[in-house]
Amino acid sequence: MTYQSDVILDLKGVPCPRNTAMAIIQLETMDQDEILKIIVDDGEPIKNVPPSLEEDDEYEIIARKKSDQGCWHLYVKVL
Amino acid sequence: MPVFDKNKIFLDNAATTRPYDEVISLMSKMQSDNYGNPSSVHKVGVKAATQVERARLAIADTLGCSADRVFFNSGGTESNNTALKGIATNYSQKGKHIIISPIEHPSVHYVALWLAKIGFEIEILPVDSSGFVDPDEIRKRIRTDTILVSVMHANNEIGTIEPIKEIGTVCAENNVVFHTDACQSFTKTPLNIQEMNADLITLNGHKIHGPKGVGALYIKKELDIDPLLVGGGQENNMRAGTYNAPAIAGFGKAVMKSNSDDIDKVIGLRDYFIRILKDEIEGLSINGPLGDKRLCNNINLRVKGISGKKIFLELDKCGIAISTGSACSSGKTTPSRVLLAIGLRDDVANESVRISISKYNTMEELNFTFECMKKIIQKERKLN
Repeated sequence: MTYQSDVILDLKGVPCPRNTAMAIIQLETMDQDEILKIIVDDGEPIKNVPPSLEEDDEYEIIARKKSDQGCWHLYVKVL
Repeated sequence: MPVFDKNKIFLDNAATTRPYDEVISLMSKMQSDNYGNPSSVHKVGVKAATQVERARLAIADTLGCSADRVFFNSGGTESNNTALKGIATNYSQKGKHIIISPIEHPSVHYVALWLAKIGFEIEILPVDSSGFVDPDEIRKRIRTDTILVSVMHANNEIGTIEPIKEIGTVCAENNVVFHTDACQSFTKTPLNIQEMNADLITLNGHKIHGPKGVGALYIKKELDIDPLLVGGGQENNMRAGTYNAPAIAGFGKAVMKSNSDDIDKVIGLRDYFIRILKDEIEGLSINGPLGDKRLCNNINLRVKGISGKKIFLELDKCGIAISTGSACSSGKTTPSRVLLAIGLRDDVANESVRISISKYNTMEELNFTFECMKKIIQKERKLN
């Protein structure tokens, strides 16, 4: 299944929790039902970013996919 | 709106500024509710980190650079130390020649002198009678072993706005790193990375109605620079130490609050005050340039035959805070290094005072200050 995103935020190389903070700041600027695609590194970032975002009832991670380059693509919907 | 209190007139805004109410409120909230360590990945930490990143984005947006090129630290002095020492240690294989202006802040001037003690060659440029550096003088002095040029954007004592774009171009053409200390000018005069050709820019919070103890250093992406403080991996290993999150958040808020209307107001107050001083006080001269090459909030003046220290002390008794020399050298009787560099004699330099305005000052305050100054000068002239 493919997802359309309204905004893409490349957070490769950005350490935790700065990556989550940057994602939150971006999400705060977006409207309801819009989708943010976040690109994060494997390892700590993929372990830390999704649960941190999901703690907020305003966002839902609707998909996560590992790319061929080894990083992760998260699709986050503004509720 | 500010309330006029003739016993509390603050005209030393080049030394520091009153923080915006919103800055105080945000910092207070950070201390009481949002006190997490921004390096922690739990919810409390993420909340604090979000404020840090918000501040970084605000600064980057104002500079016109990517947020990942803004590195927080403890203030202008740390930024200047990092810039000079970081380039010196990392580029010493290429050379040891460093060029600075003679009117730099002590945190550049004395770092350069310290570098001279450990084997670097420091060359100090001339400035003209208004404090301007000539970019061609830099071009003439750059050698194959020149590793760094450091010229401040706007001078803290006499308000001279240096031709940074032209200096940056000379440095770029000659592949020399260019650092500028923009503590006095940030948010007060246009400062766009794309136009400046600067590799390193020093910023701080408390000159712009933000908190003390926080600053930032812009570092160009391609630049290889050693950190001043090592330890934890904060700031992508560029500055170790737990984030001062309340101060960083306050710094960011101050940047967000800055606007061109305030600058226009300050310019209006500055020019009004200069006009009435020059019209009414005999023997009064302005140090530094006039017009748009002068920092919007700066007035540096001297009155023939009257000690600047005397004016400073008498105004203080009236509840008016100004400065003699720069804030960092207040209390010293030696003449200002900056005023000597623009060609003033020791005795003439000692006649100088600095009055620096902010958006919180009013015409009423300036009129009251003017009346006090007139009385002080008349009294001194009678005594002499």
